[in-house]
Amino acid sequence: MTTVGAPPGARTAPEQTRARRPDADGFVERDDVKLYYEVYGAGEPTVLLLPTWSIVHSRHWKMQIPYLARHCRVLTFDGRGNGRSDRPAGVAAYLEDEFAADALAVLDATGTDRATLVGVSCAAVWGTILAADHPERVAGIVYIAPAVGLAPGHPERQVYAFDEEYETDEGWAKYNSHFWSRSYREFLEFFFAQSFSEPHSTKPTEDAVGWALDTDPRTLADTSRAISLCRLERFRDTCARVRCPALVIHGDGDLIRPHAQGAALAEATGGTLVTLEGAGHLPQARDPVKVNLLLREFVESLPSGRRP
Amino acid sequence: MRAREPDTEGYVDRDGVKLHYEVFGDGRPTLLLLPAWTVVHARFWKAQVPYLARHYRVVTYDGPGNGRSDRPVVAAPYRYETQGRSVVAVLDATGADRAVLVSLSEGAQWALWAAAHHPERVLGNVFICPTVDLELGDEMWSEPFEEPYTSTEGWARYNRHYWLGHWREFLEFFFSQCFTEAHSTKQVEDCVGWGLETTPQVVIAREQAPWPDEATLLGWSARVRRPVLVIHGDEDEIPNARDPVRVNLLIREFTESLPAGGAA
Repeated sequence: MTTVGAPPGARTAPEQTRARRPDADGFVERDDVKLYYEVYGAGEPTVLLLPTWSIVHSRHWKMQIPYLARHCRVLTFDGRGNGRSDRPAGVAAYLEDEFAADALAVLDATGTDRATLVGVSCAAVWGTILAADHPERVAGIVYIAPAVGLAPGHPERQVYAFDEEYETDEGWAKYNSHFWSRSYREFLEFFFAQSFSEPHSTKPTEDAVGWALDTDPRTLADTSRAISLCRLERFRDTCARVRCPALVIHGDGDLIRPHAQGAALAEATGGTLVTLEGAGHLPQARDPVKVNLLLREFVESLPSGRRP
Repeated sequence: MRAREPDTEGYVDRDGVKLHYEVFGDGRPTLLLLPAWTVVHARFWKAQVPYLARHYRVVTYDGPGNGRSDRPVVAAPYRYETQGRSVVAVLDATGADRAVLVSLSEGAQWALWAAAHHPERVLGNVFICPTVDLELGDEMWSEPFEEPYTSTEGWARYNRHYWLGHWREFLEFFFSQCFTEAHSTKQVEDCVGWGLETTPQVVIAREQAPWPDEATLLGWSARVRRPVLVIHGDEDEIPNARDPVRVNLLIREFTESLPAGGAA
């Protein structure tokens, strides 16, 4: 595993200092799309920290990696569309099956027989597909603030269509491809202000906006259209095929995805629901200690999850 | 909610003014974390106490005028000699023969007084952003405190009349000047909250107490024989709250560097 040059379009801004550097990194290629992954630590068990919506890349796990890597082997990869992974054009490249197949390819490339999957928001969909279709590869799954259609979304997010033009750009009208092409940063600041609904979130907000600026509005629009195409009617059936232990962590102050979606997913997968009081949509960044302890406790509760 | 609760607490009575102290841990040596300006109380050490108490015995106390201490509205309890003697009184009350004195901002004056007058009680001094009149020229002193204010811009707000009508606004301004780094909203909110636990009348009384002048400070300094560490940000005024990990490690390194780790 060696690093080759970053693909065109990858960020050129200097990266922040890291608390923990990867022990190995590399690229895996699927259908001409190169995906960048990192490996921290060695041995068993392995935790795969999944990509989420490509508005951010794998640095959104920065508060988990240094802690978890002291207890587990940790894998991350940049979802297609951001970070050091390629940015293929077109909606088809970003459908949920592609992300699930990418995760499997990263397990293969890193010689990982079996891993616990951890995903935030949209990662719930691809993690569930992987766990349902390849049960032998998945020891357990943790859903943080899952974005799943098992319960209704926030009504204020359903007022405007993504590709329509509107007179207004108030509130969620900013979640719109035309607005993005005009005022991408303004959308990002709005979106992450909603994501980090807790006070004192200026730093994670600034980080997340920076990662979103590592991709571009056209790529992100493709990913967003792909998410809206997720065949959610069959998602409940996919959930029913998940046999591994599941943990759902959801804040009751989540303005992006209602807590009810996490509760419904816990029920559909037979998993445990942990409610974080007052937490917004990205508790792994805003409440890292609590989330890290939950992750470690879950991994160690799995058969052979504890290190010998 | 606190990360670490005190193991014991109590009051010392200083001429009718009760001061509240807390003790954490039982390691050696004792670290006495001094009060600072009356706009905050001992909770401004919250990012130090849990860490330091794992290694040492940590004592904090609220100065007169805030926290769980009394709030006199006359100047005498705020004089530097009285505040210096309170340092020793808290050491006596907590059974600490000797201690490392850790002070922030104007707490430096009282720590320095104690080190000069009771050298046998002081193992060393850590001064964080000391506020001492050795280098004047701060713009904050350029506006008259007692006169009716003519402006509500900048340090013109450091004014008794402004405080009486706009205490919260003053605190928000003042702490925005203390925390100049980005992402300090939590620290500002904490400090403003502590400032609202006292009143402008109390802090005005504190302002009536004189500060030690340069000759006095130099005289005390010349008598200090124990190790001294000065930590000063080139922008930030309260680094113990904004950069706690760095400050905690410096305090620990300093304490460990004392003869016999200060435990003798």
